[in-house]
Amino acid sequence: MKIMKRALPLLAVLLAGPVLWAASPERYLHVRVTNPTTHEQVRVNVPLSLAEKVIPAINHGQLRDGKVRIGGFTADNVNVKAILEALKTAPEGEFVTVEQNDSDVHVAKEHGQLLVHVIDKGSKEKVDVTIPWDVAQALISDTSENQLNVEAAIRALQNAGDVTLVSVISHDESVRVWIDSNRSDK
Amino acid sequence: MIILAKIGVGVMGAVLVGGAALSSEGFIHLKVDEKQVDGHHISLIVPAALVPVTLKFVPRQHLAEAAENLRANMAIIDAALPALEQCPDGVFVEVIDPGEHVVIAKSGGSIIVDVNDPGETVHVAVPLRAAESAIHEIAAANQPM
Repeated sequence: MKIMKRALPLLAVLLAGPVLWAASPERYLHVRVTNPTTHEQVRVNVPLSLAEKVIPAINHGQLRDGKVRIGGFTADNVNVKAILEALKTAPEGEFVTVEQNDSDVHVAKEHGQLLVHVIDKGSKEKVDVTIPWDVAQALISDTSENQLNVEAAIRALQNAGDVTLVSVISHDESVRVWIDSNRSDK
Repeated sequence: MIILAKIGVGVMGAVLVGGAALSSEGFIHLKVDEKQVDGHHISLIVPAALVPVTLKFVPRQHLAEAAENLRANMAIIDAALPALEQCPDGVFVEVIDPGEHVVIAKSGGSIIVDVNDPGETVHVAVPLRAAESAIHEIAAANQPM
């Protein structure tokens, strides 16, 4: 009986091991580009753990030490970091609505996510961007004014739920970028 | 008779150890099937452990350009290959085109590239560990002192 009592915790640990292992599956960044006219399709499935290790090693162009320089944005007088800092404390709701003859732009904070919807009326192109708030904050963490911290954002994405980050639908092509725990996008 | 038996056991042991050493890093598999009627069909299976050894005998000047390109990206390669080894198996990239199908995947510790186009089908499987040692061997070629 004593042996049984001693063996039970061991058995519990052995049984819990695979369950805990299964509880933290690999997360994947998926990209799918589809062209219905030419029937071309590109599918990319990147394990986030791989991206997290490789991105800091890339020192090329605007990407250095896991951070990307966004000089173009500041040159256009749009400081992404300052905007995200301001949005951090703002209440949930729609922040920006720009309705023009050629396009509509909506920026909102909803359910802990930063949402951007753009509709180009001319080309009928529709762009939806969803950034979980933790990821948005990670993007501006430990950066100078014109940088975004890609490495930190990837780390934050590991803990984000399954979400479609970017969706672009136009008459000749559709693009979807999303996160989940499936190793393929099928 | 006993001496012969001992020699036999020794030879068998050497063959087994040699075989185990050769297959320790897996096998590189290259298969090319040309779709023309008189097309070539090539299938090569090479012990991956041979590649770094073979590279030592390649004249350094033939590896100079590849070495230079690799050295510029060694930090990325050194970060990517161990991370790739730890990744679960799966398809990383798939390109489907009306005339072509390309798949880059990881399976059983190997990186696999499959190309199927109107002219031929190509299958390449390279064990990651072998790739790592081969890449380091090439990068070390013509290294400035």
